Formats: sequence, structure tokens, C-alpha cells
Amino acid sequence: MADLFRSIINIISIFAIPLILLVFLSWGFFKKVKVYEVFVEGAKDGFNTAVRIIPYLVAMLVAISIFRASGAMELLSMALSPLTSLIGMPPETLPMAIMRPLSGSGSLGIMTELMKTHGPDSLIGIMASTMYGSSETTFYVIAVYFGAVSIKNTRHAVPVGIIADVVGMLAAAWIVNLLFG
Amino acid sequence: MLNYIWLSLIVIGILVAVGNDVRDEVQNTYRNGNTFGAKVEIKKSSPGAIQVWEGDLVVPVGAFNSFYGVQSADTVIHQPVAITVLANGTPSISLLIGEATPAFWKQMAKGASSKEKLTGKLKALTLSPEGVPMSVQFVLEPIRFLKMKAVTQAALDIAGTAVNIALGLIGIMALWLGVMKVAEEAGLLKVLTRLLTPITKRLFPDVPSDHPAVGAMIMNIAANMLGLSNAATPLGLKAMEELNKLNPKIGTASNAMVTFLAINTGGLVLIPATAIAVRATVGSANPGIIIGTSIVGAACATIAGVVASKILQRLPRYNKPDSTPSGAEVSNG
Repeated sequence: MADLFRSIINIISIFAIPLILLVFLSWGFFKKVKVYEVFVEGAKDGFNTAVRIIPYLVAMLVAISIFRASGAMELLSMALSPLTSLIGMPPETLPMAIMRPLSGSGSLGIMTELMKTHGPDSLIGIMASTMYGSSETTFYVIAVYFGAVSIKNTRHAVPVGIIADVVGMLAAAWIVNLLFG
Repeated sequence: MLNYIWLSLIVIGILVAVGNDVRDEVQNTYRNGNTFGAKVEIKKSSPGAIQVWEGDLVVPVGAFNSFYGVQSADTVIHQPVAITVLANGTPSISLLIGEATPAFWKQMAKGASSKEKLTGKLKALTLSPEGVPMSVQFVLEPIRFLKMKAVTQAALDIAGTAVNIALGLIGIMALWLGVMKVAEEAGLLKVLTRLLTPITKRLFPDVPSDHPAVGAMIMNIAANMLGLSNAATPLGLKAMEELNKLNPKIGTASNAMVTFLAINTGGLVLIPATAIAVRATVGSANPGIIIGTSIVGAACATIAGVVASKILQRLPRYNKPDSTPSGAEVSNG
């Protein structure tokens, strides 16, 4: 069942982009849109958007990488581990849960390390990869998306992102314990 | 909120780095100034005015662990080493960092004057009858402020990386913005959005249901779910630009933007391709086993995020009229 689902999604993923290009552009042609000119007109903004993101990305990534390099993660994990072990989350997976919203490459490294140490099919291995698979790098998304439209006052975006991440990590721990614990 | 978190990451990071360095200094974690003794196996000798011997430093793991107070490696350490005696008779030793180097020395090398080797002063040298060194006693260069050095390096490196990430977006941004422009002019986005109006009207009540922003958001969420991250980011940024056209306060996030971001950071993916690929690489018997659990986790995160965005957007602290004065709102009084 899972394999069938997986191969269907894989096929959709492979065909999605070529199909979108084909359908969108030929639909435009039928609707008498000057496809080439309009495409170029739209594409022109790509450079500006990308460049506008730079200051936001630098600010966010520098803060996160200082935090990572200092070894503060280990301290935070130690402080939180009595709390999380109450709900059946192994302390080994805590750095994963903390790192996931901060850094994509950092959490990828932690996940790989955990699976090498404890085995990919152990409870810790499954939980770490579920945590990785069930979340996005929240702070990166906030920096890039708001940066693209020069938004400095993010209002409730950060608390919302943190609430979503905490719920996501707890849900991942709960479902993995339920099915594989 | 972002102000506090941003500053805390930096301040906590630097303070913890200082704390760790002070602790290392007090405990002398890196055994600065202590003499390390070991046997050597010389493989190559270059006699001359400057005499150089190259070979392996052979250290039983027990001796290494008790010297540094660590738990590492489970075999005898064969560390590549070079012993140099200058013309004036000054001997020195360098440990060349490589595959065989114990993790602890690799870590120390990150704070050494050269990243590729740990250098040290030779205290004693026992020569065999043939004039080849058999054992050495040496003191390695002092290793200090490892974390502070790491913090500096990380901050400088990532600033460059951030620019590379942004510049790397230019091409795919241009591609998708071009395609979206064609779709917009052809009225295709309107067809797409009409299908999902019942959902989008509830999620984004402030956005007219036939606005191009809705089309871009739907495309972005679909691309995210399929794991097409190359398409998802440009489409998401396009959606943000469209939402910004409806934003009454330039420079301040609108309710619709935050809800849209909540859906995005929830990370709902049908196939968590990266996690599955890593699982397969490290030898999982069933790499795809996490598909179901990941969907459950991401669905919970997404629902929680959307609900939180709807509740928090009503709080007075997120609705201060003067939070970011835009040009038009600044009055003389």
C-alpha cells in the first residue's frame, strides 16, 4: 500500500514540472498571449527578488550559525531533556527537534548521525527521520519569504511558526511511539 | 518577537562559547603544556642540514584516552607524524591531520595555527642504534578559545553562503515568474483558484478569491506537497509579492501572509524524499516506513500553525497601529 502510494507520488513528481510548462504555455498560446514576450517580462523580476532576500538571509543565517557553533545546542538539550522524556521522546532526538526549525543542513547532519549511531530502523532512527520529514526550516522560510517583500515587522509569524514546530515535533514523537514503540 | 529571538541566538551563542572556552581553560581540556610520550615508526628519513623523519606515531588507545580524559577509537592509533631537526639543532614535531587522526586531535586542529596539522615542541627523542627515532616526548602547541574561533569562522562563512543561496535562486525564480506571468495573462490561475475557492475563502478571508495571490499560493502548496522545492520557493515568493499588493501596511506582515507562512513552515510533504534517501544510504531495511508518520506530524504542525495564526492575529499586541510607520502614515503632528 505504502509502496503503491510512493510510486504514484514519485511519478507525479517527475512529470509535474514538464507538464506544468507544457499546459501553461500552450494554454497561454491558445488564449492569444504573446508567450515569449510575457514570459521574459515576468522573468525579469527574478533577479530583483533574489537580491532583495540577501540582507534578510544574512541576518538570519549568521545568528543561527553563531548559536550552532557555540555548543549552545547541547546545553539547551540537557536543560529540556527531563521535560521531553516525560512524553516518551528519547533525549537523543532532542537536538534534532531543536535544530529542525533553525537549520536545514544542521538537522540533516544530526539525523544522519543519529541513524548511523542507533540504526535507521531503531526507534530513535525512525523518530529522527520522521521529525526531519514532517517539518520545514521555519526560520529560513520566514527570512526568505518576508525578505522577498521587504517585511521587517513580522507580527505573529514567529510565534505561529514555533507553535507549529513544537506541535509537529511532539506529534512525530507521539505517532512513532504509538506505531513503533 | 523576531527581534528577541534573533538577538538571543547571537547573545546566547557568544556567551555559551565564552563559557565553554573558560571551562576548557580551567579544566585544561586540551592538556596545554603537558608532555605526551609515544613510540614512533619511521618510514622515511631525509638526512641533510635540516633532518626530517616521517612515519607514524603509535599510541595505544588506552594511553590516549587517559591522557586526554576522553572515550575514543577502539584500536591502536597510527597518527602520521613528521619530526624535523633544524640546522641549529632545534627539534620540532607535527601531527598531520588525516583519516587516521583521532577525533579529539581533529577537533584540536580546528583551533591550531594551521588547520592541516598540530605542531609541537620536541622534549626528548630516543634514537635507535641506526640513528632513527624510536620514541618521542613532545608538548603540542597550546589550543585555546576553540569555540570563539569556531563562532567567528561560522559567522563569516555563512554570510558568504547566504549570498550564494540568494544568487542561486535567480535562475529558477526567473523561470517560474515567467511561467506564472503567462498563466496569469491567459486567465489560467483564475480557473485553478475557482476550484478551491471554498477552502481559500476560509483560510484567507482578506484575499479576493480570484486574486492572482490565491493561484500562486495554491501552486506553491501543491509544489511543496510533491516535494518540488525548486518550484515551491519561487512560487511562494510570487505569492508573497501578490499578497503584498493587498497589504495596507507596507513593511508589516498581513494576516494572510502569516497564515500562508504557517502552511509553508508546517512542511506538509507527501513523500519526505530527503529523509528517505538518507535512510536508504545508511542501510535501512525499509526507508519508506516514515511516509505515514511524517504526514501525520506535518499535518498536525500545519493545523496547529493555521489555528495559531487565526487566534494570534486578533491579539492587540499584533495590531498596534504604529508598529512600523510607513511613509504615508508619518504625520507632522
